[in-house]
Order: sequence, then structure tokens, then C-alpha cells
Amino acid sequence: MRKELLDIQEVDRYLLRGLTTADRLVFQARMLLSPDLRRKVKLQEKTHQLVRWYGRDLQREQLSAIHSQLMAEENFSQQITSIFK
Amino acid sequence: MQHDEQWLTALYRESFPQAARAIQQLGGDMDTAKDLFHDAVIIYLEKPGNSSFQIDTSAKAYLVGITKILWYKKCRTEHKHISIDDNETFASIPDDLHPDKEDIPVLQYLRTAGKKCMDLLQAFYYEHLTMEQIATVFNYKTGRSATVQKHKCLEKVREQVKQTEAYAERVA
Repeated sequence: MRKELLDIQEVDRYLLRGLTTADRLVFQARMLLSPDLRRKVKLQEKTHQLVRWYGRDLQREQLSAIHSQLMAEENFSQQITSIFK
Repeated sequence: MQHDEQWLTALYRESFPQAARAIQQLGGDMDTAKDLFHDAVIIYLEKPGNSSFQIDTSAKAYLVGITKILWYKKCRTEHKHISIDDNETFASIPDDLHPDKEDIPVLQYLRTAGKKCMDLLQAFYYEHLTMEQIATVFNYKTGRSATVQKHKCLEKVREQVKQTEAYAERVA
């Protein structure tokens, strides 16, 4: 893999707690010295968060489909609508 | 790919009516009950070890309980008076369950322009599939080539995040 991808992999290991304690300390020391590395870590953390939101949205889509499918069943639909009468 | 459809449908069928009743009793309507219940299922599925294929009473009780807590949280956010004033009650709800307003444009952009990468990344970081499973789902020859693609995608999305100026300012 080219260097940029190896760097990404290392930041990922740091964020996902995949580094040994010693490597973690070294990484943190490097972060202290390098604003560029700190920025990369922050951006990657934000990327993880965006991926999480994306994953949740996909899950919500699946749940909405299940909801519609169940509401198409007469018994289920009656049971739910009677609650909100 | 998401969770097993049949299992999830059964869980929904078993639990939603009770959650809906609870929300109705607290003064909510059906759409609110539905949205909060969906968030509760998401929280449940995100708990490690919960993607099993069993529906026991504890799963149902958990979902109804979390749906109610989400209702209280929603009321608190909307400054309505509620008697619960206990941060511990809300501890089971992730702070970033929904994106902030300023996160929505970039998320929308990634949904369309970066869908392929986002699908692959969420399979790993959100669904926690192994790289071998991902290789099968996304048609890569080996887990190793899927891993390289995952890193490329991470790089691409990170670059897109960086280029969103408002974003760059906020995370700087």
C-alpha cells in the first residue's frame, strides 16, 4: 500500500484502539508535535461519525420498509390504529 | 445488507404495539411513536452482542423502555416540563444519535456522490462485518483487496470532509 493509505490505517488503529500501549504513547507524542497529524486524526474521527450516521440511515430505511409491510396486514394495522383512536 | 429481515420483522411485530401504547399514554402520536421506536431498535442493535436471532422478553422490554426514554429526552429538548431530571436515565442514548444541522449537507453529499464508498465503510464500521464478508458482498477477490479499497474509501471521504469549508472550520 502507498504511504498515505498506511497512514490512514495507522490513524484508524489509533481511533479504534488497535494500538499497543507503547505504540499508542508514541502516536500521541507524534500528535503533540504535528498539527498536521492532529488534523488528520480529527478528520478521520469525523469521517467515522459520518459513516455511523449513514449506517443508521440505512437501518432506518429498513425499519420503515418493515413498518409499511406490517401496516399492510389488516390485524396489525387495526391493532396499531386502535391505540391512537 | 443490514440485519436479518425476518428476525427484525418478528421483533418489530412483537414489540412495536407495546411501545406505541406507551407513547400514546404519554401524549404522543403514531408517527412520533414510530420514529422513536426506530431509534430504540437502532440503539438496541448497536449494543455489542445484541445482533442475535432471539426475541426474548428482555429485548421487548428494552425496546419499550428505550422508546419511553427517547420520548422524555425529546420533551426535555423541546423544553417541555417533565418530571424526570436524571442524566443517568439518558445514559443509554448516544449523544450523536442524529446528525447536527450543519452535518446534514455533507452527509447528503456523501449519500449521492460517495454512495459506493459509504456502503463499504458502513459495512465495516457500522455493521462490523469482517473484511472477508465484505469481500463477498462487494465482489472483491480477497479480504485483503477489500481492505485496500476500504482505506482508499476512507481517504476519499476524509478528503471530501476536509473540502467542505464550514466543516473544516468546525473540526479544526
